[in-house]
Amino acid sequence: MRSLVVVMAIALGLLGGVFSSAVLKGTSDQRVREAVTRETSHIQIHNPAFIEDNDVRYLVDGNGKKLFTALDTMDMIAAWSPRVKFMAMAGSANAGTGVSVIGIDPEKEKHVTEIHSLICDTCGKWFKESRGMPVVVGQALAKKLKVRLNSKIVLTFQDMQGNLTGGAFRICGIYRTSNSVFDEMNVFVNRTDIIPLLAADTGSCHEIAVLLKDPGDAGMVKQVVKNLFPSLLVQDWKEIDPLLGMLNDFMDLWLYLFMGIILLALAFGIINTMLMAILERTRELGMLAAIGMNKQKIFILIMLESVFLSLTGGIIGIILGIILTIYTNHTGINLGTFAEGFEKIGYNPILYPSLNLVFFINLTLMVIAAGILASVYPARRALKLKPAEAIRID
Amino acid sequence: MSIISIEDLKKSYRDSEVAVQALNGITLKFDKGEFAAIVGPSGSGKTTLLNMIGGLDKPDSGGIMIGEVDITKLNSRKLIDFRLKNIGFVFQSYNLIPVLTAFENVEFIMNLQGVKREERQKRAVGLLEAVGLGERIHSRPSKLSGGQQQRVAVARSLASRPRFILADEPTANLDSVSTQNLLEIMEKLNHEEQITFIFSTHDQRVVNKAHRVIVLEDGKVVNDVFKNV
Repeated sequence: MRSLVVVMAIALGLLGGVFSSAVLKGTSDQRVREAVTRETSHIQIHNPAFIEDNDVRYLVDGNGKKLFTALDTMDMIAAWSPRVKFMAMAGSANAGTGVSVIGIDPEKEKHVTEIHSLICDTCGKWFKESRGMPVVVGQALAKKLKVRLNSKIVLTFQDMQGNLTGGAFRICGIYRTSNSVFDEMNVFVNRTDIIPLLAADTGSCHEIAVLLKDPGDAGMVKQVVKNLFPSLLVQDWKEIDPLLGMLNDFMDLWLYLFMGIILLALAFGIINTMLMAILERTRELGMLAAIGMNKQKIFILIMLESVFLSLTGGIIGIILGIILTIYTNHTGINLGTFAEGFEKIGYNPILYPSLNLVFFINLTLMVIAAGILASVYPARRALKLKPAEAIRID
Repeated sequence: MSIISIEDLKKSYRDSEVAVQALNGITLKFDKGEFAAIVGPSGSGKTTLLNMIGGLDKPDSGGIMIGEVDITKLNSRKLIDFRLKNIGFVFQSYNLIPVLTAFENVEFIMNLQGVKREERQKRAVGLLEAVGLGERIHSRPSKLSGGQQQRVAVARSLASRPRFILADEPTANLDSVSTQNLLEIMEKLNHEEQITFIFSTHDQRVVNKAHRVIVLEDGKVVNDVFKNV
């Protein structure tokens, strides 16, 4: 009965731990995935001076065509998109605000970011044919400027010579990500529309966003591009958004720490149970020592029982945790009540818990290790029993 | 030829502030095939003497030769191994493993000795039949009477093929019928297979069956009688 209670305590503890970890990991992965597919992509290429000064004059240099050809031939790259990028004032008849203008090739950009898919059915289209120059804006910006689909906005900015210039753009689409700050800040225009206004050469760009087939290849691709074009700054998403990179790296460490603390607490329960078991079986243990069972075997006997207890509870807890994670990953956990707050910090209010196989393998090993560690003290107590006295204890 | 030779054995314990001399210069010899009872009042040193012979405790001074080995000189690891190979124990409270069947309890000690499975099984069945439990080999201790459990304990003590068997008050928890059965089985094993039994006991029925009676008082041998059988 006592063993059953401990097994249940371990199972429930691990269920809670696994599910909490899955929610944390899912949230973090979701944030990283959304940031990569909507904001940073896997790799970005810039003129190093552009990152320092953010000045429109610092284009990706004249090797552009060679660079484009190189990117086209690299197998590890899924898609890439050249961008013109600068700060501007966006104004409507009602309001004005500072924005980041991103001049893109709509078809190429579609393969790198998923902004095009975040325009709802009634919110227009991704660069459809329209009268005048089209612009896609975020819902938060549209609200701020008090504009709607097909409204006109004026973008005012400096050209390559430092002259103030601008143009009127018609809103052809309104997107909405889970990051309201991003939505309020970024507007997308056609690169071919914006280059003449900037007075830059045809085909110019400030940034090339690269999406990889396998994000794990980022280091290798980065190195290859760097070797081919040493004058360019090539950064992966962790360098582009260090906070996001740290969140991603720290999350794994945090999850193991979190589970470690839970297992440590459960280990005390196992120690208590094993001590009680030894107290109850003092006579048996005394008998085993008396008839000639050596100390290593007695130690292993107690250790196996402790590992069996922790592993039984652990496996039950992990399996329940996996089932709950799979179910909620399928349905999502809708925290709509807190949507505004989540979106302000760039998080999706619908959470999709997720964990990977490596985590479960490591967790199982941690459970076994906790069982072994929890057995040491009780086993040492058992080994200190004197058989002559132990066999007479009632 | 003595299989156990005890020479001037002394042992004292501290009971609170007072030193108690449990054994005070015991010298004894036991030959193969003996059926000996150690008797005496409580506190006379019976159990302490049995513990010393069984290597469960160490004396303050004196020697215990079992065959050619002075077990008082063995370290803990060697002593455990020596017990496993040379000494059989029967305890007052049977001390069977409750989750194992009678058969498994008997087989267990041979498992510790590394005896092959086939031989283990054959011997365990043979021993349980010898103690009259051939029909109950798959019963757990909780399903057996006290007398039956003690017979399993005797079978277990014989399983390791020890040089002798030490039985500490083996009949203390048994009724008279069970005591009678147990004594008959042990006497038969002693008679037919020359197995040496040394008991500590208060039980007059055991004393009556014993071929040798050693009387202890205050840690000393005050009488050592060999009966004619």
